[in-house]
Amino acid sequence: MTIDINFVGLIIASIMASSVPLILASCGELITERSGVLNLGVEGMMIIGAISGFALMTVTGNLFIAVIGAMLAGVLISTIFAFLTQTLITNHVATGLALTIFGIGISAMIGKNFVGIPGKEFPVLFGNLKDAIPFLSPILFGHSVVFYFAFALPFVTNYFLKKTKIGLIVRAVGDSPDSASNQGINVRLVRYLCILYGGAMCGLAGAYLSMIYTPQWIENMTGGRGWIALALVVFSTWNPIKILIGAMIFGGLTIVQFHMQAIGVRIPVQFLTALPYIVTIIVLVVISRDSRKIRLSTPSSLGKSFYKDN
Amino acid sequence: MKTNLTISNITKIYPGCIANKNISLEFESGKIYALLGENGAGKSTLVKILSGVIMPDEGQIFLNNKTLKLNSPVDAKKNNIGMVFQHFNLFETLSVFENLIIDSNETRDNLRKKIISIMEKYNFSIDLDIPVLNLSAGQKQKVEIIRCLIRGPEVLIMDEPTSVLTEQETIELFSSLKQFSEEGILIIYITHKLKEVMSLCDEVAVMRKGELVSISKIVDEKIETLANKMVGQNLKTIKKKKLSTTSSDQLIKITNLNFKSEDPFETNLEEINFTVSRGECLGIAGISGNGQSELFQVLSGEIISDKKSIEFNKNFIGDQNPQQRREYLMAFSPEDRLEQAAVPQMKIFENVALNNFKSSNFFKNGLINESKIKQHAKKIISDFNVNTDNIELKSQFLSGGNLQKLIIGRELITSPDLLICFNPTWGLDVGAINYIHETLIKINQQNKSIILISTDTDELLKLSDKISVIYKGKLSKKMNADEVTSEKLGILMGGGEFD
Repeated sequence: MTIDINFVGLIIASIMASSVPLILASCGELITERSGVLNLGVEGMMIIGAISGFALMTVTGNLFIAVIGAMLAGVLISTIFAFLTQTLITNHVATGLALTIFGIGISAMIGKNFVGIPGKEFPVLFGNLKDAIPFLSPILFGHSVVFYFAFALPFVTNYFLKKTKIGLIVRAVGDSPDSASNQGINVRLVRYLCILYGGAMCGLAGAYLSMIYTPQWIENMTGGRGWIALALVVFSTWNPIKILIGAMIFGGLTIVQFHMQAIGVRIPVQFLTALPYIVTIIVLVVISRDSRKIRLSTPSSLGKSFYKDN
Repeated sequence: MKTNLTISNITKIYPGCIANKNISLEFESGKIYALLGENGAGKSTLVKILSGVIMPDEGQIFLNNKTLKLNSPVDAKKNNIGMVFQHFNLFETLSVFENLIIDSNETRDNLRKKIISIMEKYNFSIDLDIPVLNLSAGQKQKVEIIRCLIRGPEVLIMDEPTSVLTEQETIELFSSLKQFSEEGILIIYITHKLKEVMSLCDEVAVMRKGELVSISKIVDEKIETLANKMVGQNLKTIKKKKLSTTSSDQLIKITNLNFKSEDPFETNLEEINFTVSRGECLGIAGISGNGQSELFQVLSGEIISDKKSIEFNKNFIGDQNPQQRREYLMAFSPEDRLEQAAVPQMKIFENVALNNFKSSNFFKNGLINESKIKQHAKKIISDFNVNTDNIELKSQFLSGGNLQKLIIGRELITSPDLLICFNPTWGLDVGAINYIHETLIKINQQNKSIILISTDTDELLKLSDKISVIYKGKLSKKMNADEVTSEKLGILMGGGEFD
């Protein structure tokens, strides 16, 4: 059997394309979690982004407005989460779960009028170079701007957290909100902003799904990707670069599944769907053997509410 | 110019408690001031007011005759008031340098130069690029001090700074503080340790129950007079009658006990051998972090070891868990009262049931026998002088002293043959310390044994019949307590040896 390297390139490109929403949502959630907030509403925020993007695209016909609108929708719904958890000091876990349920419900409601409407073609960059280099061309060229943004994001996030003052403040708040507050850092404000940023990235991830990846609206079209994104943050031990690797693995599983079936290897779909979670659990078991590493990489105040006493 | 800090008529009232009542004090640079008082006397409240963490209900603060409005810790920083809290305000997972740059407006290079020059000047040596959680308590405190010094403070407030330090680190801290004072920084030193006040400070203000009791010069005071002012009663000085002859009746025998940890932050125990006779108190001295907590865990059964390595009352119990060991009449009082000894969110009587014995009938057919437990809890509270009558109270609301009395009481009421305790008086006030010490002496007199692991040398010398020193997981020979001095212990604790 001869292997066509162009075909391999295409598979890799499709794996990358399927990992884009995971990267976006995980990098957003990573910033949120680094500030000490556990937002389990990723799935909900993504689906809201998906319907908002698709609806705005259909109504206005303007892709730019649609993408920005989807991000703003993510911000809006995460504001609810931020207000509840930071101002009213509700429990992060319960609020996040409620957010997901709310998001799925409301997106289905809005989406009723948009079922069956065909999407628009999203412009690609470097489309003319698509066949220039064998193997590399399908990987490098002919993708949407969101695709390139997603693959730059982990590096930008890493730089932001490690090298910038604001990144340091985010990490400090996640490490010890009390100390941060005593240092004069406005913990609540930092956490608000991190939550809203996470919302924006989840909104964008959703818009990618409904406008670029499969340009149409299907109810519940995120299909658990929000949960995989959440698992990915833990899998990566809160390291943006490892998110990239994890997203490729997790995103690739679906693609591999198609091709496996094509060449006759039969693996139950349910197993492949469960695989990201199984892998996450295995990784957790492996890293939790080293308690020091866990302490160093996990935001110490993750999921804990911050009160300021007077 | 001299720095003058005046506080006038500060009052802070919490629901159900007056934390500060009309406190007025005046401080001037060039001296080291002590603010002395028991836990709960209102020192910490006053300090938090001075550092802007909380705001007073009434009263004013003046710095160099200008009114200070401290609405937040940032205001205190801006006004050159530096503050080192008892519980460090550090970010454990960030590097030392990141901890210092976070509230600084200087560039990385400038700040690094500044930090290095400060460290050289005061002879600190800390790796700036490792995470803070890898530092010892003393080093963490130095990071806090550096954080204050970067800003060139006029006032430096230290809140209970030695509670986590070893003796050597304390000495270093004191010499640094004296140096700062000579350089014109006004130092306010908050403590409940009398000796430290006597050796470090120039003037002392004593607080009790939220009120200022006295202001005086150290030269006019003695330890006893200060102690009396602090607790408001004459303290009984207790002295233990040492065991005249060592009884040959061995209670516990540890043979070739080893513990190897996979965690690089734990200490390995190597070839531990010792025996304790009935009625004996064996003190185990050492600087914290030399294997005490591992030794405690191995002795209590939190860490299981070789069956033959621990022989208790002629039974080999090295492979038994704490519950099983309790059945052989061992009792344990761990170091961390809130994390290890008690469950803070549970009520007092529920906590009492936690070391349940098979014989105690606290549980019947899987159900909790509440009335029996409550009765038992009431007995402990009255027998061990726990200052509350509400057994429904969540144990997190007990003061450290009362919680410790409750825990010791819970352990002792079953009349065990051996009590193993680890820093039983850590962070307690004088009254509670005395009570705990009296209790420990009493059980020795009832021919029960104690293994006292403690980092407080005075406590060890006072209570122990025999003393061993633990250093890097190795235990020294047992010595008679009346033959050792704190100097000798100091040498052994530092890893040295003498004839």
